[in-house]
Amino acid sequence: MISESAKGIGIGIGFVALLIGLWELLGARGGVALTAVLPPPSQFLGTIAESGFKIGLGAQAAPVWDSALSTLGRVFAGMAVAFVLAILTGALLSLSKVATWCLRPVLHILAPIAPIAWIPTAIVVFGISNMTAVFIVFMGVYFVLTIATLAEIERVPAEYLTVAENLGASPAERWVSVVVPAILPGIFMLLRTNFLAAWMAVLVAEMVGLRDGLGAIIMMGRNLFNNELIMFGMVIIGVTGFLVDKVLALIGARLLWWRS
Amino acid sequence: MKDAAPARTALGAVPEAAVARRDRTVLKAERVSVDFKVKGGETFRPLQDFSIDIAEGEITCILGPSGCGKSTLLRALGGFLRPEETGGVLWQGRYLTRPNTDIVLIFQENNLYPWLTARGNVGFGARYRMGRAERRRRVEDMLARLGLSEAADRYPHQLSGGMRQRTAIGRALVSDPQVLLLDEPFSALDVSLRRRMHQLLLKIWAETHKTMVMVTHNVEEAILVGHRVVVLGGPPAAITRDEDTRAPSLKDRYHRDFLALQKTLEDAIY
Repeated sequence: MISESAKGIGIGIGFVALLIGLWELLGARGGVALTAVLPPPSQFLGTIAESGFKIGLGAQAAPVWDSALSTLGRVFAGMAVAFVLAILTGALLSLSKVATWCLRPVLHILAPIAPIAWIPTAIVVFGISNMTAVFIVFMGVYFVLTIATLAEIERVPAEYLTVAENLGASPAERWVSVVVPAILPGIFMLLRTNFLAAWMAVLVAEMVGLRDGLGAIIMMGRNLFNNELIMFGMVIIGVTGFLVDKVLALIGARLLWWRS
Repeated sequence: MKDAAPARTALGAVPEAAVARRDRTVLKAERVSVDFKVKGGETFRPLQDFSIDIAEGEITCILGPSGCGKSTLLRALGGFLRPEETGGVLWQGRYLTRPNTDIVLIFQENNLYPWLTARGNVGFGARYRMGRAERRRRVEDMLARLGLSEAADRYPHQLSGGMRQRTAIGRALVSDPQVLLLDEPFSALDVSLRRRMHQLLLKIWAETHKTMVMVTHNVEEAILVGHRVVVLGGPPAAITRDEDTRAPSLKDRYHRDFLALQKTLEDAIY
């Protein structure tokens, strides 16, 4: 017997393959305007393969993997910093009611600002550097995660803390061994849902400011009127994002094992 | 030559006389009042000038209708609430102001940490109180005594209801407290499981002679397990009956004495 989920994955792969086949068919017939702008995989992969998967002009050419790695590095650095700082902020705020009353409205005002809106400011402050990208990812994730941390802390059953106090845990020990494990799964789940926002923010930053990364490939393709390059960049972005989401889901399953 | 004290931890070594004594009060509620602020600025007072003596090495069961203040009393006895005004709970000659590790409370639910295995939960309190080797030895011993060795690596959601409560009891007992407070610990369990838990609790008592205070709304459970059954009315809580339930005839569910007392207490509650 094949399990329901394996069946679902199989059908999903089959359907994607069917779409690619259709796309190839349209491209092979030629004369279709759409495939001139959106060249099928056999064409754009062929073109890129000719240059050994290196992108750029002359000596500046770098393998596409470098671009993917620098984009991923920026996203993960920003998300990791935001994750840790959000938990620390939540912890500090939960210790003081006054601090929470003061800062909660600030968080709620800053949270809806799209990370992309921070790009001009970030470029002025940090220049064109990795810091800019990390900062933008951070701004896109940090506020939402801090609000979530506060909500999660409020949701921790009072009994958990009473039991720990009763058994002799100091306030700091209660934090480390009760509150943190209790809130971690919820916050991580939110981190995963916010990955897409962070991912898009960094791509936009790479398009408008930075000169490398996956976003820059798209801009280079645009400047060179190279549709193959644009298409290749889009596919790499899509596939990488998909893979990262799956990796995060796996990590989440490890962290969330007890919620199943 | 001094008299040898009866061995109190070995199973079966306790003479009947030791069981029957009610001579030493370990925990004493002295005119305790507790207020809760309710919405709209009103205060709800489940305990007002309430006093009770809890005898050492005795199982005291507290019965009463819902909302009579019996759970509040249990929390006050453990130092989990701050009593108002005068009075308080006396423990070793001092008023309790906060929970301590000698008086451990076991809840009905949300007892276990879902991110720890049964073994991790049993060892939770021990990690603050003893070295690694000592902790390990005690935890494994406790798991074995509670019949949890096989299930030690399971997480709470993989345990049955009875196993969960046994794990909670193990966590409370592992660092050897002097008093166990139990807040309706078995009310979520079915009848047969509940009866097995009664046997387990009595076995633990026979081995350790811990002082126990158990809040329940099950009259049968209170008479069978308790050495003393206290019925509360209220709020504010007030003792309406105080029964000595150590007689063997009261440990037989079908004995006429048992049935008569059950009826009397049920009439007093409902």
